[in-house]
Amino acid sequence: MNGMGQMDKTNHDENTTLEERMKNRDGKGWLILWPLLSVFLGLFSSGMMMLLLGHNPIHVYWDMVNFAFRDIYNIADIFAKATPLILTGLAFGFAFRSTLFNIGAQGQFYMGCVAAVFCALNLKGLPSLIVLVVCLSASVILGGLWGSLVGFAKAKFNANEFLISMMSTYVALAIMNYLLRGPLIEMKGEYPQTDVIPESSWIPSLLPHTRLHWGFIIALLAAFFAYFILWRTTLGFKIRAVGMNRNAARYAGIDSRKIFVIVFLISGGFAGLAGFMEVNGIQHMLVQGFNPLIGAEGIGIAILGNAHPFGIVLSAILFGALKVGGNLVVQTSTIPSSIIGIMEGFVMLFVILSYYIQDRISVSRSKRQLKAKERGGHK
Amino acid sequence: MILTGLLARALQMSTPLMIGSLAEVFAERTGVMIIAIEGIFLLGAWGGFVGAYLSGNLFLGLLFAMFVGTCVAAIYGVMTIKLKQHQIVTGTAINIFAVGIGLYLYRVLFGVPLLPLTVDPLRNIPLPFLSRIPIIGEAFFTQNILTYIALLLMPIGCWILFRTRLGLIIRSTGENPEAVDSAGLNVEKVRLLTVLAAGAMDGLAGAFYSIGFLGLYTNDIIGGRGWIAFAICFLGNWNPMGAFLGALVFGLADATAIVIQTSGFKLIPNEFLIAIPYILTIIATISRKHFNVPAVLGTPYIKERK
Amino acid sequence: MDKDKAVLLKGITKYFPGTIANDHVDLQVTRGEVLALLGENGAGKTTLMKILYGMYQPDEGEIYVKGDKVTIRSPHDAMKLAIGMIHQHFTLIPVHNVVENIILGMKPKPGKSLRVENVAEDIKELGEKYGLEVDPYALIRQLPVGMQQRVEILKALYGEAEILIMDEPTAVLTPQETEKLFGFVREFTSFGNSVIFITHKLNEVMEIADSVTVMRDGKLIGSIRKTQATEGLLARMMVGRELELTTGEREKKSGESLLYVDSISVRGDRGNMVLKDLSLEVRKGEIFGIAGVSGNGQEELAEAICGLRKIEEGHIKLENIDICNQNSLSMIKEGIGYIPADRHLEGLVLDMSVEENLILKNPSDPPFSSKGILDWRRIKKNSKDLIRSFSIKTPSSSTKVKALSGGNQQKVVVAREIIIGTRLLVAIQPIRGLDLGAADYVHKALLEEREKGKGILLISTELSEVMTLSDRIGVMYDGKLLKIFQREEANINQIGLLMAGVTGERNGTNG
Repeated sequence: MNGMGQMDKTNHDENTTLEERMKNRDGKGWLILWPLLSVFLGLFSSGMMMLLLGHNPIHVYWDMVNFAFRDIYNIADIFAKATPLILTGLAFGFAFRSTLFNIGAQGQFYMGCVAAVFCALNLKGLPSLIVLVVCLSASVILGGLWGSLVGFAKAKFNANEFLISMMSTYVALAIMNYLLRGPLIEMKGEYPQTDVIPESSWIPSLLPHTRLHWGFIIALLAAFFAYFILWRTTLGFKIRAVGMNRNAARYAGIDSRKIFVIVFLISGGFAGLAGFMEVNGIQHMLVQGFNPLIGAEGIGIAILGNAHPFGIVLSAILFGALKVGGNLVVQTSTIPSSIIGIMEGFVMLFVILSYYIQDRISVSRSKRQLKAKERGGHK
Repeated sequence: MILTGLLARALQMSTPLMIGSLAEVFAERTGVMIIAIEGIFLLGAWGGFVGAYLSGNLFLGLLFAMFVGTCVAAIYGVMTIKLKQHQIVTGTAINIFAVGIGLYLYRVLFGVPLLPLTVDPLRNIPLPFLSRIPIIGEAFFTQNILTYIALLLMPIGCWILFRTRLGLIIRSTGENPEAVDSAGLNVEKVRLLTVLAAGAMDGLAGAFYSIGFLGLYTNDIIGGRGWIAFAICFLGNWNPMGAFLGALVFGLADATAIVIQTSGFKLIPNEFLIAIPYILTIIATISRKHFNVPAVLGTPYIKERK
Repeated sequence: MDKDKAVLLKGITKYFPGTIANDHVDLQVTRGEVLALLGENGAGKTTLMKILYGMYQPDEGEIYVKGDKVTIRSPHDAMKLAIGMIHQHFTLIPVHNVVENIILGMKPKPGKSLRVENVAEDIKELGEKYGLEVDPYALIRQLPVGMQQRVEILKALYGEAEILIMDEPTAVLTPQETEKLFGFVREFTSFGNSVIFITHKLNEVMEIADSVTVMRDGKLIGSIRKTQATEGLLARMMVGRELELTTGEREKKSGESLLYVDSISVRGDRGNMVLKDLSLEVRKGEIFGIAGVSGNGQEELAEAICGLRKIEEGHIKLENIDICNQNSLSMIKEGIGYIPADRHLEGLVLDMSVEENLILKNPSDPPFSSKGILDWRRIKKNSKDLIRSFSIKTPSSSTKVKALSGGNQQKVVVAREIIIGTRLLVAIQPIRGLDLGAADYVHKALLEEREKGKGILLISTELSEVMTLSDRIGVMYDGKLLKIFQREEANINQIGLLMAGVTGERNGTNG
């Protein structure tokens, strides 16, 4: 008889793994609904935590919203806070599209900070635009190069990128701390921090009398850049192919190793750019122990945004709002600032749970459809 | 004198790394990476301090730390093993959450004390006879109870993993879960129970930082040490003895940095010494083939969907 | 009630997302008998047996073992009911040894020690009793496949199985090993035990079975005694229509030499030489078929030709130009198409759309992109053209490939590779897991390309496929081509023997 090939994988065709399902929601409406539900549950659970300190969560959240939207300054601040988060979110999300785990955005961010502050301090007297372009490029390049080392280790030695990028963050931290205590220390030499950078290197404000600066627009452009690369270029095509099936990519003549380096270069560039935003846009100096969770928050934002550049922008704005509202509540009540971390953590956990529930729903719906079809067939 | 101090310190610093990396070895042998290890360390430290402070008993503090570690591991385990969510993603979420909740609950319990609250840390227990051996006696046999426990756990871990049926099951689960399933064992149960046990050990390891020698809790008390334990598991080739050696090396590097820092030796910037363990990890990771890596590490077992 | 009914399944139904794997299937196994569970790949045989073995839970239906109604929640329950299963993909742990693999499934119980030495002793005894000798301390990964299967069987026997399910056990065996396996099956059932033998090979059914149950598309087609069955009847039940091989005379078209493989040696994944000094030639307008039991170096040969595996010694020439040890991208540019053995693992990106998969190998070529920017309009047009000309059934061009049926997925691969392979096509098991219609379509497409003057290297473990399509047939064994036949002189018996490594000069097998 004409053989059908002997190594059958029964039912392989019609069934998918869970992760594939995760990426494949049903309709566009669900895309928004589930994250919203997760955010709601996350805030609800955080509210329960507030009860522990004797606060009425409804009041707290009411205050939060009121404070955050009380005046233009605070509204603008939401977007100012979102700016670096968009970029660290992209740093994780972009690599995630290639199923690479860039846990080292924190370190790449620090390298970006160092590059930006170094250029800003050493380019006194030059026109503002030139200084800004140099600072921006330097932070992107240094962050990117630092990240690409991880990609290189992965490509050349098949090292575990998760572990290496994690370790590289601590090395970057040590380098930054050394520079802050030595070569870059302020004139007074008292604290491990730099001098304030000259005003010519500050990113111009987008709205007067707020902290919102042009960096937000640049971050939006970066998100669009990420989207464009991924879905409009051959490079992005290859990146996604490597991410979804590394083996098939190899058979298709795609050199995954090259992709690893490029992806980490771009991802690191995003994180480095976040450094420029924080140094030249907000802090106007570099201080030791600065923004220690921005990398991890980027991961959460990327997950909440389904690793899609536009989803990341929205999630980053949400996290920005939590921060602004949370900070204001913290300042005006006895709730500690760690409540912001709790809110972020809860939201992330509920997002992950929602993946599971969505999967269950789609499985049982599929079963029901089959049963219905079968009954229809018997009639 | 310096040598004794250095060795003693090295052993002390490597104690939690031994416990944590051993726990990681067991979990990863079943195919589950405990990415939440940093968070479990942190909440273990929190639990240890809180338990000890409130009860006034260090032993109860250790028990509470193990309990907290088990609880966090249970959340992580259920989400990654039962609900089959991504380990790195879930672990990261828990790590972020741990930072927030640790500080928050500290605040809930103790308000804002003017001075950091402290407990008396674990005392060193000189072992009879052995502690009198010159140089190494004081270094190795005048340690606190956790160090002795860690030193005992390493050979016990080795024995369980390689000499018992339980160990065989654990190793098999990470290599071919379908074989384990087909042999009539419950893959998810094996994984979950191992992760719970590992969580208890990670909690204990975390408690070492709070009540093992400092006697207080701060939110940056772990500072990446959980990741080091995680890395040691890789470096130790998923073998308890490898983990033991790895932990000693890291402990020694850590101790050297502290000794040099306090001795006023200024030739090498302190930051570089701090960075050395991490650089070592990177070098070791890229220069060695991981021939022992469990075959299905990091992937959930999906039974009914081929 | 019926104590001589070892197993009775009633109305078993199992839904998988998107498909009904088993649709109210009944099945009955008598004590001391062999039941062949016959059906094409994808008919739902394995799913049904995994339900009996407790690995899957049925959505509907009842299971009776030895007359009692039972619920089997896990393989553990199945083992308690003395049911054992030999999976098609062995459930052994390669880095552990034989004894460790066998101990894994055993609970310590009084009077039965699980000490390694004792178990090793028991295994030896058991092996001698059934002619399944194996070194208890050998690591699984060092054992050849046939031996690994023995370990699987011993594992079940050690668990005191009385009902043994064997899922396509002969797929990995040589004819000689198959004979030996059948010997074991006969002996095992002679003690009053039962065997359920999953297969899609009619000759095996006729040789070993006492009764036959046939499945198609997840449904039960019928159950008959072997004595009442003929191969023709079974084939009709299995596929729903008479088998028709696309044979027929055809014009010889082969022209000048296209691909010349000159005594190459290639290492396998484990570092050992899997191709040894192998030479072959594919001419233009010719299908060169390679027959052989899987795992004799066929995949490595294809990968070496397609630039996916390093060639240690020797040369490969494409129309007299050395293409040895270039990367896969330049092989694609040279016009070599490759239909790999596993479309899910190697041929497709399941999460990408049909149109994306169709340009997977040449996204940078015009007109799909210019200066690195994709031209989605052209990509869609290309896709719509190919969907029409290969009659790929898909809701749309932008549907993810994983939503397509296996046959249509394979058509996507074939369409792409025919475009890429302007000169040479390398195809491994091109109809693996396809229904007859789709298989026929793929075969016709290959023959069409031959007509156009392309060279085709067809590698398959299905002798019938190779013999039907090829102009010349080489038999591969242990990394060597033992003999090359012209189409006319090909003889199924001789090729069968060669596939087992039995050459005229020296008898017996090794390896």
